[in-house]
Amino acid sequence: MSVQSLLDSRLLLVTGKGGTGKTSFSAALAVLGAVKGRRTLLAEVDTQRPSMAAIFGEPPPTEPKSVLVHLDIVNVHWDVAIAEYMKRYLRSRRLVDGILKNKVVRRFLDFAPGARELFILSRLADLAANYELMVVDMHASGHAFSLLDITRSAVGLFRSGPMLQRAEELVRLVQDDGTKMVFVALPEEMVVNETLETLERMQHAGLLGGAPAVFLNKATLPSLRPPERTLLGRLAAQDLPPLAREFVRAGFWEDALEQATAEAQTRLADAFDEPAVLVPPTNASGVPRHVVAGIAVHLGRMVGVTRRELPWI
Amino acid sequence: MDLNPWLDDTHLVVCVGSGGVGKTTTAASIGLWGAVHGRKAMVLTIDPARRLANSLGLSRFEHEGHPIDLSPLAGAEGELWAMMLDSRATFDELIDRIAPNEEVRDRILANHVYQQMSEAFAGSQDYMATEKIHDIVASGAYDLVVLDTPPVKNALDFLESPGRLVSFLDERVLSWFLDDGPRGALGGLLAGTSAVVLRLLAALFGREFINDLTEFMRDFDALYEGFRKRHRTVLDLFRAEDTQFVTVCAATESSIDIARFFQEELARRELARGGVIVNQVHRCDGSTHDAEAVLGDVARGLATDLDPTTVSSVLARLGMAHRRLHELATAERAQIERVHHAATGGHFYQEVPRLDTEVNDLPTLFQVGRELFGTPAEDMRAGQT
Repeated sequence: MSVQSLLDSRLLLVTGKGGTGKTSFSAALAVLGAVKGRRTLLAEVDTQRPSMAAIFGEPPPTEPKSVLVHLDIVNVHWDVAIAEYMKRYLRSRRLVDGILKNKVVRRFLDFAPGARELFILSRLADLAANYELMVVDMHASGHAFSLLDITRSAVGLFRSGPMLQRAEELVRLVQDDGTKMVFVALPEEMVVNETLETLERMQHAGLLGGAPAVFLNKATLPSLRPPERTLLGRLAAQDLPPLAREFVRAGFWEDALEQATAEAQTRLADAFDEPAVLVPPTNASGVPRHVVAGIAVHLGRMVGVTRRELPWI
Repeated sequence: MDLNPWLDDTHLVVCVGSGGVGKTTTAASIGLWGAVHGRKAMVLTIDPARRLANSLGLSRFEHEGHPIDLSPLAGAEGELWAMMLDSRATFDELIDRIAPNEEVRDRILANHVYQQMSEAFAGSQDYMATEKIHDIVASGAYDLVVLDTPPVKNALDFLESPGRLVSFLDERVLSWFLDDGPRGALGGLLAGTSAVVLRLLAALFGREFINDLTEFMRDFDALYEGFRKRHRTVLDLFRAEDTQFVTVCAATESSIDIARFFQEELARRELARGGVIVNQVHRCDGSTHDAEAVLGDVARGLATDLDPTTVSSVLARLGMAHRRLHELATAERAQIERVHHAATGGHFYQEVPRLDTEVNDLPTLFQVGRELFGTPAEDMRAGQT
């Protein structure tokens, strides 16, 4: 997979096991899209505690807001999503508000299976239509699957009417070539397991459009030469003073990280059409904006975007 | 050996926290610790990714409880069971239990809306988790039950969802749908003051759907009392004296933000804050990174038969690795301070160092338990004012 082909897509749905860096990669891809001159929207889905605030300095509002040249951010909340949906059928905002305040309607929507999810997807689709590239920071993989799978279930549930039509449109959007799932994984066995499992479920359910992509975050390939490994082993076998032991322990810590990367790379290569894009660890500070900048610089090199063109560097 | 005093008095442990922080592993290791010390323990996950199975060395496991073979751990006195929630099966069981008769039960199970709702929609899964956990606890078959919840937003739903279902089933709302007018179900629906609203719903969702839903609600009406009773019992369970919520996080900024948020939420809801566990903590002693000074002579003594550049490259590498590990440990320490404060008022605070190997078998899982319970945790109750 080339990063360029992702930036040339229409809709990127970014998911992965919790803690892999979904939000950072979503933001980095969106920033690169914008720098490349595509009108880009970065969306968070129904977040109670938006994580983008730490990256862009403000929480994403419920209507798209510009944060950089060509880049808007938005938080797709289901309350707004449903109001937007209703406005398609009712011109009057006052009437929509009135209906949505109605107690029966509130409860109906709370309860109607999948209604929330369907309205969220519907809103995402509407927003995507206004941009050249939309990047969605999805839920963790299991729940991202459920959200997308609503489109299939809804087709079975709503046997007539506009909701059925909408669900069918959404199935087509999810399956469109310009829509791509983007997985973010870490070089850890269980993270790779979950990535492969989710990919398989999505393939099985027909929820993949264009070729899915995978990023291997915090990747460091093995670098110890055989004699170096021999010496490290000999040091570990010695009875060393505590401080010296800490150095040897640090050496093994780093080597284990590298070995895990190689293994993850092999397993992902077997399941995805294209090899994983490896992204090295960013600085240890963990400051969200710096992490995003680090990822954007690295990915930028693959698409001819220099550091100087990127914001916050 | 005694269990940790906190775990000793606890029957149900609910693990909450963000994703990727070892929550599932923690849940499994708590259950395993109990099992090794003679308890009959059950670990239940509602995580659709089947992570728990991974750490127990299973490829997957079933809706029915599955006993874990503890033979790799010599001397385990109790039993460990694991279960992956199947919300559809749980829902079916629930309907079977509270339906007034077979006819109503069969009609509900065959209803279009019911089938889609119980099978496909994430919302009902959280609700069903509370159902299942209640069954498991109330059965009395286990001395210790540990629940692994999905990442934060969903875990909040999980605390609220019984309310969400029951509030819809509120009699007053049901009467809108179940008004037996002369024109039958949908006619009744569309009659009276709500006509405009309901016609709109029918236009949006399709008449068939509204009909399916109306029929479903009519049958569900008979189950209303049963649901309400169950909901109260389930809420009581989460507020019981021997139920404890454990907040799990890693030493990263976002995970700790979420852990702090969780501690506040638990306090606000007056749910028992068992404690805070910080997982995967990196440690690194020594403030110098000069590998030559620390290890130079030893390394040269061990490398007489190796390529002469080997010593310098290994020393350079160890110096860098020590610096990186040290920086990481220092950055984590700053984050940990924030969550340590938030743990005040709960029972305990514990850090678990990052293990050198991945936790994917029982002995390693037990090692996590030893870190959790083998060293005394900090008692946070003293800080309560």
